[in-house]
Amino acid sequence: MIISSLTMMAIFTPGAVVGTMMEASKMGVTMCIEFIGIYAVWMGIMQVMDDCKLSHKLSKILSKPVQYIFGKTDAETEKNICLNIASNIIGIGSAATPYGIKAMQGLDKGDKRATRAMIMLVVINSTGIQLLPTTVIGMRAMAGSVSPSCILWPTVVSTFIPTILGVLLVATIYRRRKNG
Amino acid sequence: MADLFIPILIAFVLIFALIKGVDAYTAFVNGAKGALPLMASLMPFIIAMFVAVELFRNSGISAYLCNFLAPVFRFVGIPPEICELTLIRPFSSNAAYVLLRDIFARYGVDSYIGKCASVIMGSSDTIFYVSSIYFASTHVKKTLLTIPIALLCNVACAIIACFCCRFI
Repeated sequence: MIISSLTMMAIFTPGAVVGTMMEASKMGVTMCIEFIGIYAVWMGIMQVMDDCKLSHKLSKILSKPVQYIFGKTDAETEKNICLNIASNIIGIGSAATPYGIKAMQGLDKGDKRATRAMIMLVVINSTGIQLLPTTVIGMRAMAGSVSPSCILWPTVVSTFIPTILGVLLVATIYRRRKNG
Repeated sequence: MADLFIPILIAFVLIFALIKGVDAYTAFVNGAKGALPLMASLMPFIIAMFVAVELFRNSGISAYLCNFLAPVFRFVGIPPEICELTLIRPFSSNAAYVLLRDIFARYGVDSYIGKCASVIMGSSDTIFYVSSIYFASTHVKKTLLTIPIALLCNVACAIIACFCCRFI
């Protein structure tokens, strides 16, 4: 991508290359500094949630649907899946990943082909089941929006419908294969 | 309505902490402490992405690609202005944040385009990154239909996002 862009620019606007790069890096630094502020506030609040074991509570509620969606798994893996989804929902992405990886390893039977439960977990994680788009709301506030969190319900709707779609797709495709 | 949700949520968390006997202030400070190291470790990637994205756009390749795809996007109800964001989102969060910030500056945060872009950003994830780190920890070599299904969900997400934004 960068090489093709550079080639194009070198042919048409060679003078602009260095200027563009420096201008871009300056904007990059500005954005990083804004992000420190956003992250500090949310990571603080999330730490409070974490210390209250809020994600553990949520993961208990989730255990029934998880059993239903993922089928039979051992207790440890199931706990990791629940914690992964719970952390994702609250928005502690950095906490979700280690649980997710542990769950993947728990699901791993040494097979070279991905199992249905593995695909399910990755699909659920990649649709980003997040209830609070914290970074985006923070960015909107910094950009001077009158209502930074007005995007809340559309975000929730457009994250849950694709998640359900994904789960249904994985469930139908791979159940059929197992029988056939 | 939605503006009330976050203050209420934060108040709820604080009250919950009080009941549970958790020291909310210390917890907050401990959590916030992590922001600077996190950002310090992310900064090289963000700057690299910023440079790459700006070069990509100033070279005109991006405009060409988006012009080519605009009719498809318009057909499913996604404004062509956020075509770039939709395309880059599955690959890199940082690059997508770069584009989002640019969309805010260019079209305004509270415009329809700004809202659509925010929702798409908030409701999807970096598919390629997530699946690579998840599968990397296992023996799996064949991921079968994982990526196609995840991409399809992402497309659905973008379409639903743009549809929902018509009502706010």
